[in-house]
Amino acid sequence: MADAATIEAPVAAAEHGAHRTSTGLSNNKIGMWLFLASDCLLFGALISTYLLYHDRISALQLGPDAVFDIPFTSVSSFVLLLSSLTMVLALSALQRGDIARNRLWLFVTAMLGATFVGGQVYEFTTFYHEGLGYTTNLFGSAFYTMTGFHGIHVTVGIVMLMSLLIKSLRGNLTKENAETVEIVGLYWHFVDIVWILIFTVVYLIEVS
Amino acid sequence: MTVVQPGLELTTGTNGHATNGHAKRPLGVFTRPQSTTGWKSWLFTVDHKRIGIMYGAAALVFFLVGGVEALLIRIQLARPDGKLLSGETYNQIYTMHGVTMIFLAAMPLAAAFANYLIPLQIGARDVAFPRLNALSFWTFLAGGLFLNSSWIFGGGADGGWFNYAPNSGLPFSPGHGIDFYALGLQITGFASLMGAINLVVTVINMRSPGMTMFRMPVFTWMMLVTQMLLVFAMPVISIALFLLTFDRLFDANFFNTAAGADPLLWQHLFWIFGHPEVYILVLPAFGIVSEIIPVFARKPIFGYHFMVFSGIAIGFVGWGVWAHHMFVSGIGPVAVTAFSMSTMIIAIPTGVKILNWLATLWGGKLRFTTPMLYATAVVAMFTIGGLSGVTHAMVAADTQQTDTYYIVAHFHYVIFGGIILGLFGGMFFWWPKAFGFKLSERGGKITFWTMITGMNLTFGPMHILGLEGMSRRIDTYSKGFGFEFWNMVVSIGAFIIATSVLTFLVNVVVSTAKYKKAKANGTYVNPGPDPWDARSLEWMIPSPTPAHNFDEDIEVHGLDEFWHRKYGYDENHRVVRIATAEQVAQKGDAKNVHLPSPSYWPIVIAVGLPIIGYGLIYNLWLCVLGGLLTGGGIFGFALEPPDDPDARGHHDDHDDHGGGELVTAPTSEIEEVAHG
Amino acid sequence: MNKPRAGWRRLSMSLGAGIVLVLTLSGCAGDDGELNTLEPKGTYARSIDRLFTPVGIIALVVLALVFGAVLYMWFRFRVDEHVEGDWPVQNHGNTKLEITWTIIPLVILVIISVPSLATLQKLNREVKQEDMTVVVVGQQWWWEFRYYLGDNAKSYDPKVDKLDGKKPDVVTAGQLVIPTGKDVRLVVTSRDVIHSFWIPKLNGKRDAVPGRFQPWKIEADNPGVYFGQCTEFCGLSHSRMRMQAVALTPADFTKWVSDQEAPYIPAAASDQAWLAQQKDVAAKKPLTSAKLPDPEITLADGSKTAAGIVTFRNICTRCHLLRGVNEDIYTAADQVSGAAPELTHFSSRTTFAGGIFRLYNADGTWNRTALEAWLRNPPAEKDAYAEGKRGMPNLGLSADQIEGLVEFLMTTGQVPNKDVTIPATEVE
Repeated sequence: MADAATIEAPVAAAEHGAHRTSTGLSNNKIGMWLFLASDCLLFGALISTYLLYHDRISALQLGPDAVFDIPFTSVSSFVLLLSSLTMVLALSALQRGDIARNRLWLFVTAMLGATFVGGQVYEFTTFYHEGLGYTTNLFGSAFYTMTGFHGIHVTVGIVMLMSLLIKSLRGNLTKENAETVEIVGLYWHFVDIVWILIFTVVYLIEVS
Repeated sequence: MTVVQPGLELTTGTNGHATNGHAKRPLGVFTRPQSTTGWKSWLFTVDHKRIGIMYGAAALVFFLVGGVEALLIRIQLARPDGKLLSGETYNQIYTMHGVTMIFLAAMPLAAAFANYLIPLQIGARDVAFPRLNALSFWTFLAGGLFLNSSWIFGGGADGGWFNYAPNSGLPFSPGHGIDFYALGLQITGFASLMGAINLVVTVINMRSPGMTMFRMPVFTWMMLVTQMLLVFAMPVISIALFLLTFDRLFDANFFNTAAGADPLLWQHLFWIFGHPEVYILVLPAFGIVSEIIPVFARKPIFGYHFMVFSGIAIGFVGWGVWAHHMFVSGIGPVAVTAFSMSTMIIAIPTGVKILNWLATLWGGKLRFTTPMLYATAVVAMFTIGGLSGVTHAMVAADTQQTDTYYIVAHFHYVIFGGIILGLFGGMFFWWPKAFGFKLSERGGKITFWTMITGMNLTFGPMHILGLEGMSRRIDTYSKGFGFEFWNMVVSIGAFIIATSVLTFLVNVVVSTAKYKKAKANGTYVNPGPDPWDARSLEWMIPSPTPAHNFDEDIEVHGLDEFWHRKYGYDENHRVVRIATAEQVAQKGDAKNVHLPSPSYWPIVIAVGLPIIGYGLIYNLWLCVLGGLLTGGGIFGFALEPPDDPDARGHHDDHDDHGGGELVTAPTSEIEEVAHG
Repeated sequence: MNKPRAGWRRLSMSLGAGIVLVLTLSGCAGDDGELNTLEPKGTYARSIDRLFTPVGIIALVVLALVFGAVLYMWFRFRVDEHVEGDWPVQNHGNTKLEITWTIIPLVILVIISVPSLATLQKLNREVKQEDMTVVVVGQQWWWEFRYYLGDNAKSYDPKVDKLDGKKPDVVTAGQLVIPTGKDVRLVVTSRDVIHSFWIPKLNGKRDAVPGRFQPWKIEADNPGVYFGQCTEFCGLSHSRMRMQAVALTPADFTKWVSDQEAPYIPAAASDQAWLAQQKDVAAKKPLTSAKLPDPEITLADGSKTAAGIVTFRNICTRCHLLRGVNEDIYTAADQVSGAAPELTHFSSRTTFAGGIFRLYNADGTWNRTALEAWLRNPPAEKDAYAEGKRGMPNLGLSADQIEGLVEFLMTTGQVPNKDVTIPATEVE
């Protein structure tokens, strides 16, 4: 309900999007949840495509077991998982009003994400030099497309984190609009979860 | 107790942003658009009503384009061995007819209603994300124009709207038509997804006090289900189109059968989207019919909860029937059996809807105005499509029917008989609310009867042609198969439909001219807030809807809130009037209401997208240009506060002092104004 | 105000009556169309028809009830204007009633699903046939039929068929010849895009999907020609991709098979000797890049058949195989699909070019005109992307070459029995 407090503090209300809503949740948060729900089907379609095609290769061509480097990918997966933790730390710091810590953890999260993307670029380059190009076979097309889409998601997440950081440095990211960080966090965790799924389905089950 | 602006980013922030340079001049260069009249006010508007009207106008233009394509098809097929179109042109025309009608006419026309009506029906001032709404529209329009620009650049897509692989691959369709198809639908797909998220949030979060989910009109409910379907269906077609694009442009192997690809992957992805798409198209029409019938029958909708839950059931089961498009593709007997059963099951909630409409009509005082004629016709005509649908849920029978004109007949009874008739009824019904005058009833009835005659002459005989073995998607047929007579009838019917559409356009032009003339010479009589003695909130505000929608929040106590404010029951449970519509309705005279500010960025972002598309097809440098536009647009969009306190409020026809003053108006004052 | 209203009512009434009339007529229409699904001529098509007809009737009854209700209400409850205070009983619903009409359709659907699933079962049961398997192959824009007979049928495995390795016993194009009264096992596939194999009077359709070998079957009760049409959109000449099933009595069929198995042998002994000599020369010559014999080899004796053979070996070999004539030099068709119709026993068929042109006139005489026109300029007769190697190109044949080819092709097979196998309907 739009109570007196809201009306007396219009500035704060405008800043935080704390308007009366039917559910009490902010529009932005529900919007993000819906987007992520939609994104589930995006990755669902990509992973299905991969699963349909990953073993459709002729004997002479490079397949998953030939190119995958599980230890390497495990490390980069761990890095990405770690970034979920730092994301949580960033949010809780801001909720406590600890802006310095918030900046630190946002930066660390972004850097961990960048490390992961860097690892992916390295991995792609290696595979390519081993002879697995995008057009080599069905496995190649499906693998690069799926992990590429995920990599783009991580990259977009990094851009969002950096934008938050810039916003914070300009003094516009405070305890009151911690929800913005929370929403970016939702996205970031989602991207992590998708990676866990891809790592399990694509790398681990494949090779074992 | 109520504030002027519920929900929304409407709080009248004052100096919060004023110190921020970005708010005043985004990127330090531009001021925000300020016009409230003229073409600029349309280009940069974020008003859900204007966006709705633009959706409608664009959809009607594409509807005419698709209609002309249909007429070309029918001239070609009127007689055996038609020579009007070459095989190549015919395949492009029939492909673009389907694509245009589904993605560029029916969907956006439904989006027009959704945009215009959902906020009004739930008592909100706008949608949840007004700028995103503008972005959805411009992106849709950009995608639609991009798709149709393929006619200039060497021809449209030629693989059918379903565009089965591997026929859509480079070896079999070396022109650029299918690239335009894939990229164009990708763009309109983004638009649909953004629009859907926006509208779902609006319905979930922006309802007026007391407007619980089960007090929402059936139309809003059906639209909610539709938008949820879009949220989940669009990413699937997105991926399908990405895979196709990567195959064609970057030599990937997804549909390359030589590399071992399975062409059925495309079919699964396409129909996992494509079948929910059918309900995405038809549920809005169901919603419109459910609004019109109670008003003109003078009875509440029969079994409101059944209506709502059957809609939700259709939405759910709609996900489990996609493979009924693939009964003869070879998906295996178990899958075929399962999908046959699920397809039959979906007939049940649909049947419930038909029967509940009939029960609503039963015993009512049926006043057959034009909207009512359309709504009743939907009940009858959709039933034909539904029943023929049951005959191909039986797989064995479907092995004879699929890919013949019997199917063409079936889905045109669904799409034309259900959707188009429903949307036309909706246009006649809500026209006074949107524009402040009714369309001519006489003209409306001419349109209706020619349309209903035309559609039955066109699509009725297609059943026979299909059973006689006429295949779909054939550019000519030979003498001797017995197809001649009915094809001629079908073609004549198509021209009767065209005539009916023409009469509609004449009606719009003549009625508008009359309205303008009346306004000019002072004889204009406003239809009032409630021209049809209707039931839901949108009729509780003046016609045309004021820019700010509601003067103040409406406290909702039940379904059909507006009706219950006008009528009550006496001790014998007879309906008695307790107030006139004018007494109950808001005056629309609230002043200094702060509305979301217009923005340049939506159209900038949208313009960049087709340029990226051309770039992918012709020259990657164009991609850079388009990417800069879109990327820059997104940047500007993100930095711009959704509601710029530094800009003038947008158009508010009751504000005698000009919107500029509201910049400094303290909130408390605005509240007083609203109450006073 | 009243008058135009009455006029409207009259007009709407007559229009309504017109629509009902049209719909009624629709139900009765049924001229003897070659593709008519309502005139089954075989077991499976008949099962489908027996399923469709009663369900169609149920659907029409339901439709009549709904239309009846709407029309009844139109007359019974119609008012010209809403009058202040004149309100019907406000009925918000009736749960019992609504549950009833949720259950009734459910019951109807359950009932009709029984025969529906039974028929489906019948169609899906694979033919356990040991002595004959026909692989039906679609490509732009014609059908190939590859017969595996006897032991070859027994050992035929769709999982390993690549359409090249193991050679079938008989290969034809455009026309599927089957014995009457027998479930013929079909395996449907494609060489390029998706097509759909459909002989409406004998059975429903099955898609031909590249890379998939899908089981289907067909049965005809009586001898005759049964028309078919590709029903999955397959590009430019989709509408001109037709086929016929030709049903012969079992005895005729056995004879047909033995005819087909034999390679072509010229009738005249001089031509025979000459052809053998040609092959000899080709075998001794080092293969050119095009693997074609020297075009300068010309005939010695002026026989028109021999002239046709020369043209065929020199030019047609690029795409077509005719066993007995050019199997020594033929490798593969220079087409996107890698195939062109095999022309062995060409003149035993009654249509050509994807089942659209008649090879024989209704009186059983050779349709020379059609074949000559085709050889003169195929793309003008049937749309194709010849330059893109999808369809037969214009080979620029001279009148003499065409005459020779026609004379030669006339002699390639047993002339069909016109009473059984020559379609009554004009095809193109």
